[in-house]
Amino acid sequence: MLEIDGLQAGYGDVRALFGVTLSVGAGEIVALLGPNGAGKSTLLNCVAGLVRPRSGAIRWDGQDLRTLGAHLIVERGVALVPEGRRLFGGMTVQENLELGAFASRAWGGRRAGLERVYTLFPVLAERRRTAVQALSGGQQQMVAVGRALMASPRLLMLDEPSLGLAPRLVAAILEALVAINRAGVTVFLVEQNVPAALSLAHRGYLLEGGRIVGEGSGASLMADEHVRRAYLGPLAVRTPSPRGGHQ
Amino acid sequence: MTAGGHERRWAIVILAALALLALLPLTAPRDDVLNFVFLILLAITLAESWNIVAGYAGQVNLGHAAFFGLGALVTRMLWTEGAPVLLAMAAGAGTATLFALVIGVAAFRLRGAYFAIGTLALGEILRTTVGNVLPEISTLPAATIASYRLTQRYYLALGLAAVSVIAVAALATSRLGLGMRAIREDEEAAESSGVGALSLKLTALALSTALAGLAGGLFAYYHISYYPSHPFGPHWTFDALLMTFIGGVGTLQGPVLGAILYIVLKEYLALRWVDIHLLIFGALFVGIVLLLPGGLVQAAERARGVLGGARRAA
Amino acid sequence: MSVLAQQLLLGLLIGGLYGLAAAGLSLVFGVMRVLNVAHGELIMLGGYGAFWLAALFGVDPFASLVLVIPGSLLLGALLYWGLFGFVVRAHEETRIKNSLLIGFGLALALHALAVRLWTADERSIPTSYGGAVLSVGELSIPLVRLATLTLALVLIGALQLLLSRWRWGKAIRATAEDWQAALLTGIDIRRAYLLAFALGTALAGAAGTLVTVAYSVSPSIGLEWTLKALIVVVLAGLGSMLGTFVGGLVLGLAEAASAATFGGPYREIVGLVIFVVVLAVRPRGLFGR
Repeated sequence: MLEIDGLQAGYGDVRALFGVTLSVGAGEIVALLGPNGAGKSTLLNCVAGLVRPRSGAIRWDGQDLRTLGAHLIVERGVALVPEGRRLFGGMTVQENLELGAFASRAWGGRRAGLERVYTLFPVLAERRRTAVQALSGGQQQMVAVGRALMASPRLLMLDEPSLGLAPRLVAAILEALVAINRAGVTVFLVEQNVPAALSLAHRGYLLEGGRIVGEGSGASLMADEHVRRAYLGPLAVRTPSPRGGHQ
Repeated sequence: MTAGGHERRWAIVILAALALLALLPLTAPRDDVLNFVFLILLAITLAESWNIVAGYAGQVNLGHAAFFGLGALVTRMLWTEGAPVLLAMAAGAGTATLFALVIGVAAFRLRGAYFAIGTLALGEILRTTVGNVLPEISTLPAATIASYRLTQRYYLALGLAAVSVIAVAALATSRLGLGMRAIREDEEAAESSGVGALSLKLTALALSTALAGLAGGLFAYYHISYYPSHPFGPHWTFDALLMTFIGGVGTLQGPVLGAILYIVLKEYLALRWVDIHLLIFGALFVGIVLLLPGGLVQAAERARGVLGGARRAA
Repeated sequence: MSVLAQQLLLGLLIGGLYGLAAAGLSLVFGVMRVLNVAHGELIMLGGYGAFWLAALFGVDPFASLVLVIPGSLLLGALLYWGLFGFVVRAHEETRIKNSLLIGFGLALALHALAVRLWTADERSIPTSYGGAVLSVGELSIPLVRLATLTLALVLIGALQLLLSRWRWGKAIRATAEDWQAALLTGIDIRRAYLLAFALGTALAGAAGTLVTVAYSVSPSIGLEWTLKALIVVVLAGLGSMLGTFVGGLVLGLAEAASAATFGGPYREIVGLVIFVVVLAVRPRGLFGR
């Protein structure tokens, strides 16, 4: 269970989060929606330990994450797929995935972990010895997700996984997330692509200007007037839902 | 205190001290004393000249010795051929500045550390070339040695030290200095508010290298014999670096304090242990970079702050 | 013609050591963005270490690598904990500038220490096999220098293996590529920095030993070898250790060609000129990717 309470954070003089409170229950898929610059990435980076918050609490399974270094947070079972993937470009698919299991909790089981990732994303198995910078955007995203999975996380966080991907690939990623969740991993997903996110999330939060302005179940958010007007206008992306049907 | 107010105050103090030193040859006309103070004055000039680019334009120039060397080279050549020494020194300074401007445009495209090692490499190229082209020791002709007057060199050094202090003070209080401080803090922001970074940096470099060239000329005038490549040696740069940083880079009084401390310690320790002053200064330098980047000046300010607080509390 | 060939051969032989010297610097900079300008002084210390072992205990210089390398590893760890570990707290540009200054202070202190301990004289390690020469056609190949070239290659190869097979070697490479992503995969980047710095120092120490047995050592070789290492890194770029080794060979050959064409005293200049030219042409390109 992830609990965030009154989180304030920023970069230098610029404040990004003004007291955010939310929670992600075990086994849930929770989406964090909002426009560009709302502070969604900052929030994930705080949980992952890349950014030190000014004040507020971040608790995972009752333990305060604020004092831990980022690599230790991975040891606690929290893994982040960062925005823009941030793969180790000069290394192969397999090397990137292997490094994902670097934490001591996962290193011993890395062979099994690799098999799981290759089962989830068969195209990566074929390309395991290719340098990741030679892969397509969609394949790179799969490597990024796979790398985070290799850490055997209990909480998987993703920062804009659909960014820059064709709808077909977005669907593939989303399907994989559903499968991962079914296997028992809690998923906390940041997305600008609202239909995509709400198509699989159990619950969602709306973050605007560094503050939570709305929350609810996936369905209720989809039906919400404000959300529809702001995010599901005529330019909204049509995404095939992994649960079947279109939005 | 207004911007430059500190510098003005300190300039007056230092110039007053220099004025007092002008009386030294009259009150204590001993060669060893005059030589000692000469070294301090030369060091002050060298440090203040280096300080201009480092402290005010914010770039670490590791090729400073090249300009010192060029000044020495040209001055020596012209003076030993019969030119009046002041003219020769001016020519030396001019050569140094010309060289600086030529490489400056390309050099300033480099950032931070790259500028530093690039200038170091240039300095080494010059040193090696001069060492190859002029491998023999340069000695003054007997007639010149016979007419050698230490007091002339002394007053020249005094004048040069005063000039360098005035130059830095004038820079700090001018619009030029303000612009440089802006670049040092944040070059991009300064550029966008209309500060022409390159021309400012080149101006700083010109001033810095002119003074260094003059100092080199003084060196050539002072020493009876030396290897022509010696003033191009990197230790001249390193000395300037140490003195300025330990004293307090970017201040007027810092390099002066650093120079005094450096020469005093060096001469004192040289009697007992030859290079140990470098060990001490190297360690001190590291400590300063890590813990007290403002050098002794910052330490003094902190001490004053503590004492002021104690007095207030009392 | 054969004189030129002989010169080029000698250039090649020392080039391998340039490559080894550069590898340590390149590793540290690539991983931590720390420019340790005292790298040459670490090479010098490695050389003096071998000298001491030979002079005091009669240890063969090649055998002394077995002691110099672990000793240098330890020295590197101590320097990281005591000094450079603090530099990495700042962000990149400040880090580079501070490491330059601190490296400078360290270099000065180490140089003065070396003069204290061993005087400013050149030292070398005489061995029974020191003069052995292999004749191939018109070329005479000094065997000791051939051995140092070979060992340099072996050490580079070992480093390459370490970086690609060892768990922490991979962590070091990942940290060099993207330290934030490395943190996210559970890598303690401070430990990666420590290991990289220790390895870099070990390479420097080994290079120093090889330089001393093949040539000589004195306190002033520090600055000289720091510059050589910088030149090679500029030539070869960051990333490949083997590429750095080749860059060293290229520098050695360029120096030999320049000495043969313009005369001995100009040997030193060609490397510096290459350095300055590359910087002028690619101001970001020195260590940029």
